[in-house]
Amino acid sequence: MMTSNTIKGRDWTAVFRTGGSGITTSVRALKNQFMLAFRTPAGRIGLPIVLIHLTLALFGTWLAPYDATDFVGPQLDAPSWQFLMGTDVFGRDILSRVMSGAGSIIGISAAGALLGIALGTIVGMGSGYKGGKTDEVIMRIMDGLMSFPSLLMALLVLTIFASSEIGQRLPQEGWVILTIGIVFMPPISRVMRSTTLALKTQEFVQSARMRGEPAPYIIFREILPNTWSVLAVELSVRLSYAILLASSLGFLGLGVQPPSPDWGLMISESRRYIVAAPWVALAPAFAVASLIIGVNLLTDGIRQASRLPQKGTYP
Amino acid sequence: MNEKQPEVAPLVQVDHLTVTFYTPTGVVHAVRDASFEILRSQVLGLVGESGCGKSTAAFAIMGYLQGVNRVDGYISFEGKDITKMSASEIRRLRGDRIAMVYQDPATSLNPSMRVGPQVEEVIRTNLRLGSEQAHERAVGLFESVGLADPENIGRRYPHELSGGMQQRIVIAMALACDPDLLIMDEPTTGLDVTTEATILDLVVDLKRRVRAGILFVSHNLGVIARVADRVAVMYAGQVIEQAPARELFKNTHHPYTAGLLSCVPRPISEDEVTTKLTSIPGVVYEASKDDIDACLFASRCPMVQDQCQEKAPEMFNAGHGHESRCFFWRDVPKGLWGKEIPREEIGHEGTSVLSAKNLRKFYGRWQRKYLFFGPQVKPPVRALVDADFDVKSGRTLGVVGESGSGKTTMARTVAGLTPRNRGELQLRGDDLAPEVEERSRQQRDALRMVFQNPTASLNPQLPISHAILRSLRKLAGLSRRESRERAAELLQAVGLDPGYLERLPGELSGGEQQRVALAGAFAGNAEIILADEAVSSLDVSVQAQVLDLLGKHQREEGTSYIFISHDLGVVRYVSDDILVLYAGHVAESGPADCVLKPPMHPYTEALLSAAPVPDPDAKPTSIRLPGAVPTLLERFQGCFFAGRCPRKIGPICDQSPPPPRIGSDDSDHIIYCHITADELKTIQQS
Repeated sequence: MMTSNTIKGRDWTAVFRTGGSGITTSVRALKNQFMLAFRTPAGRIGLPIVLIHLTLALFGTWLAPYDATDFVGPQLDAPSWQFLMGTDVFGRDILSRVMSGAGSIIGISAAGALLGIALGTIVGMGSGYKGGKTDEVIMRIMDGLMSFPSLLMALLVLTIFASSEIGQRLPQEGWVILTIGIVFMPPISRVMRSTTLALKTQEFVQSARMRGEPAPYIIFREILPNTWSVLAVELSVRLSYAILLASSLGFLGLGVQPPSPDWGLMISESRRYIVAAPWVALAPAFAVASLIIGVNLLTDGIRQASRLPQKGTYP
Repeated sequence: MNEKQPEVAPLVQVDHLTVTFYTPTGVVHAVRDASFEILRSQVLGLVGESGCGKSTAAFAIMGYLQGVNRVDGYISFEGKDITKMSASEIRRLRGDRIAMVYQDPATSLNPSMRVGPQVEEVIRTNLRLGSEQAHERAVGLFESVGLADPENIGRRYPHELSGGMQQRIVIAMALACDPDLLIMDEPTTGLDVTTEATILDLVVDLKRRVRAGILFVSHNLGVIARVADRVAVMYAGQVIEQAPARELFKNTHHPYTAGLLSCVPRPISEDEVTTKLTSIPGVVYEASKDDIDACLFASRCPMVQDQCQEKAPEMFNAGHGHESRCFFWRDVPKGLWGKEIPREEIGHEGTSVLSAKNLRKFYGRWQRKYLFFGPQVKPPVRALVDADFDVKSGRTLGVVGESGSGKTTMARTVAGLTPRNRGELQLRGDDLAPEVEERSRQQRDALRMVFQNPTASLNPQLPISHAILRSLRKLAGLSRRESRERAAELLQAVGLDPGYLERLPGELSGGEQQRVALAGAFAGNAEIILADEAVSSLDVSVQAQVLDLLGKHQREEGTSYIFISHDLGVVRYVSDDILVLYAGHVAESGPADCVLKPPMHPYTEALLSAAPVPDPDAKPTSIRLPGAVPTLLERFQGCFFAGRCPRKIGPICDQSPPPPRIGSDDSDHIIYCHITADELKTIQQS
């Protein structure tokens, strides 16, 4: 389908030149979706939770009463008025660490989920549109990648590449984002491939082919705008998975390195004192749990709300 | 047709029925004011364009519309008002006294259940019979709806039956409890013409045998003319004219009905003159608009007067059981929508623009039992087998055939959307590559396509200007500014306001979308436009608009068309040459006037005879094709049409492929048949 002259076709830049309207409509759609979410119970609970976390992510470091890495109190002190969530084994304030840690985990998981969607979209749509043997080979590779449990896959990527000499040049956060992206690529590419397969037989795609549009133009300009609803659902599901994966990697010591305040890392460090000082583990655990629950409730709310009828004129 | 009306109370009386839906997007006045009655042993045809409330009226009689919808008015079934019945009372009526046949038989039957038990289930629950008796009754029913092998057909699953057989099963199911009222909602719309004809014969036959009243809903005036005794025409939720069938078609008393009749292409007119189609301007008065105190048709009516805008007309009685909702019903003239203008004939000459030799497309390939080994088990689908044809400059090649005849495959291989397996395709002497991506810009520019489904042919997420502008820039090579100006001109040329350019396709009606698609096809310097069922999904009044646009463009630019349709009437109207396809093979080809006159291929003859004619007095023709189009998996030893041919002459038809014969005096007219042209002519004229 795609021949050499169409790849070199002079008009491929049109994809980027005219892509603007698609993005602005997407942003507008996103805003409307958040408004809609407030009309469902799930959204009404989820939205404030997510907003609190977002505030922490952006301003947590300034809002925190102490510096996250300063030794400010006695070791393993129980929650008190001075240290609302107690202190850890080095005497650092746990509340401050939880608040300062929000930024990195939300940033990492959001970037990871977006990267995964971007990679999955490119691979899935390209493979689905090309079809034939290429599609067969690419999808079998994706099946292979998917057969690894996601955590094992992430471990492999991180241990093989991140610890290598060249790998050291990229900060560990970058490696975690990249890992999440690679882990998420196969399932997303499958969804995007099937959507593309359904859309490429549509007559507007056929008529674009008859106009002689190059394949990248057809994929990104004609097909992609029509996959918006699929992408939105995929993003909402992947976001909470990404948080879970990022904090699991932190717990395993493969994420952000100490002494940075990372929730997964904090839970992992507190394992040894879990009986003597349970608050050390509880605070970050609660933070992770509430973030995932919040994101899930919000996205559920959005999905329900988009299916609700608009305010109508019932008798 | 029963001439004398028995003086009995009507079976169903619908009085000033109004149905209003309250939807999230607003109020929909589906039925505004409909009154009609159905008598026993009579077929009432309910006809109108889409969105005129035909099906809603039928659903209201079934009692399906209780709930959030408002149903006002009075529907009496043997004296009892259905609108006031409780849910359980209605349920007792349905199935037992009132039965319904829906449009798509495939979805009316349970795909995971054998058809026999499905019918027996209805009999057991409604008549409380034992399973033995129910089985016997089911077999009896299968026989009465004309299914072959009634004893054993019940053991088949729906997917093992053809569309026509499925619809017969559904009709048998509807007749299971001897209903007093049978509602048929577009029962033949999804079927092929030849199958449609046999189902319509069955309906006419049932009317004589069963004492039920039948409400037959259809958008097709030709179908209505064949079955109905009385016809009610609906427009924008109102019944605007009602009369006995013959009376309605002969003495039309409403301008809308007259318009509908003149929109329908007639396959055979007695004087052998093709007449120009007329179209009704504008669109149906929208159901979302409120009732106004005026005639709802006024904005589209050619004989509109001030009175029509000020006061809503009531039903006027025109005598002979004829009613019309028009102030000027007395004065609806014969040629209201334009005279019957003979279409200008083009001579037979013309240089060839596109020629195809041995064009072949098989989908898939022989599959073996164990991936790479074992016997070959699954053959490829032989969608198009060695077709030859020529498209001449400034002329229209009409391609006609039923579903599964290879029409669309032909269009797609010519367009290069699916690569051909073999055969030559030449555009003005230059070879065309199998795939569109490999063709040169000039070749892509010369060959444009208009698709069947206007909604799918425009990208729902992009404004309609997108496709037109891209065609102009990529094919005509215009600059950004020039293409904007030209796009506005093109929209005007297809009768749309240039302000539409920035609208999304979803904001346009189906007819408008198809006109945008046409504007896109006209954008470059197309020499050939492929129209694949381009008007099939449109209402008749809009269909004529699109056909006229195509004709106008052809006269002005000298473009050639390949016009594909299952509707022989439309093909006959637009074509200069006709290609008749059957099961992937060319059955007959040649100039239109030769193809549609004897001698013709037996299949062409059957198609002509099955095509519904909007005239109740049209002679019922006798040629009916049994069975269905063969699966395209087998390779024909003999003639591709032998299995269904009513003119089969003997074993030779099954043994050797039919030779091409030159029919009539024109050497371009070729018939693939074992019978000689002279013999065909003699049989067909008698």
